[in-house]
Amino acid sequence: MHPRVILLEWEQDPSPETLKELIHFKANILKYSMGVSQITQGYCSLLVQWKEDIINYSDTKKDLIALYSNLNINSTSAKTKHWTLPVCYEGEFALDLEHLSSELKLSKDTIIELHSKTIYTVCFIGFLPGFLYLDGLDSKLFFPRKKNPRLVIPKGAVAIGGKQTGIYPNESPGGWHIIGNTPISLFNTKNETPCFATSGDTLSFYAVDEAEYQKIRCIKNPKAYLTKVK
Amino acid sequence: MIEILKLGWHTTIQDLGRLGSQSFGVPISGAMDLNAFQWANKLLNNNSSAACLEMTSKGPELKFHEPSFIALTGAIMPAFLNSKTVKMYKPIEVKKGDVLKFSSVTLGCRTYLAILGGFQSEKVLGSRSQYKGVTQEDRIVKENLLLFNRNAFTPKGAGVKTITTDYKDVNLKVYQGPEYHLLNSHSQNEFKTKQFTISPSNNRMGYRLNEKILQQLPEIWTAPTLPGTVQLTPDGTLIILMRDAQVTGGYPRILQLSDNALNLLAQKSTKDVVKFDLITPQE
Repeated sequence: MHPRVILLEWEQDPSPETLKELIHFKANILKYSMGVSQITQGYCSLLVQWKEDIINYSDTKKDLIALYSNLNINSTSAKTKHWTLPVCYEGEFALDLEHLSSELKLSKDTIIELHSKTIYTVCFIGFLPGFLYLDGLDSKLFFPRKKNPRLVIPKGAVAIGGKQTGIYPNESPGGWHIIGNTPISLFNTKNETPCFATSGDTLSFYAVDEAEYQKIRCIKNPKAYLTKVK
Repeated sequence: MIEILKLGWHTTIQDLGRLGSQSFGVPISGAMDLNAFQWANKLLNNNSSAACLEMTSKGPELKFHEPSFIALTGAIMPAFLNSKTVKMYKPIEVKKGDVLKFSSVTLGCRTYLAILGGFQSEKVLGSRSQYKGVTQEDRIVKENLLLFNRNAFTPKGAGVKTITTDYKDVNLKVYQGPEYHLLNSHSQNEFKTKQFTISPSNNRMGYRLNEKILQQLPEIWTAPTLPGTVQLTPDGTLIILMRDAQVTGGYPRILQLSDNALNLLAQKSTKDVVKFDLITPQE
């Protein structure tokens, strides 16, 4: 690999335990390791990047191993939050709900219920600024991605692709099936932290009608609709 | 301030990028050829992170409404100040009312224009680098004026520099990527011997290559990527991630470009040929 980075890998089988380790280890590296410029997280790995080329690779490796062996994933240092996100699963917001309903042989209401009753875990943020990788989609809602991705998926679209569900933080191309839209911004550079959720938090959806959607959209600080601290 | 009279092909404001926001999924961005970018600022004794214009293929036509000094580095792009040829890699004094024009690049792909004190555009998450969805604009637009600090000092001790990078070099120094070992010996050999051509699909996010690798590798659990990561897609296409690339990806990461290789590749474009020169891994 590049002389400025070290890739730390876990068994390629994501689990809540792995996620806990990733989050705690990441926090500890940032706290105790000198010269680290940033750490990027995936499902089963951390990519640690230093400001300068690593001169003594074996010493750096030893330090990381020592840090890992002292890891206490049950420490209460990392406070996670639970977020509830309003979603309008109706009309033009739910572009693919009809199609999904006939393909999965589930009623639209059942899809909405299955989608919104689950408590999802935020694994990490990637793909696009503010795009949350969520774990926990009900297996009844698994559905392959579109063969021909849409060129434009609207901002706020809530969608299902493969075994995952996600929210498009900004307009972008994409191959997931759109079942609704949230009026809450997932990425806003004017906020103190541009994305309200962080790795390890949990999130669930609740259905709102179009009038409620428009109301929330006009609110300057919609956080009240969002937070429900554990 | 500078007025944009005509837009060129694709010009963005860039600095060293947005390190530290990757946990929000924000790409690093920053100048594609950091080497040329840093020379541009050095020539004016600017701060190393001062924002410059990154001009791809053909620069814009600019009118200066205030005097200053500029410097041009990177791809060879003939430049004319009030119709007179100006030299690259040298501080250039500009006066109020001067007009700067460019013709198309003759060697390389991206030219940097530094201005004394740097461009003073909006700073988002610690950087002025323009990126869609993060900054207001994802490139310079005609309606917007380019602002700079007119009280910056005259460059002192700034010298003339000759170009140090050979843009015709086709060899990209690379390290093995995390999934390199999944390749069979035939595929590994292909990387060592084959020449690859840059496809028309190349931009600040990534460069796709025309030649495919026949071996198919399964997708991986979404994992971190970097600018300079070479991904192998399920149909055998290679994508080299560039500065605006997403911070995670699900395709196997076969190779990782060295810093110099990434800067060199930024000066290449459609139909240019590259070869991978594998550096023996440390340890």
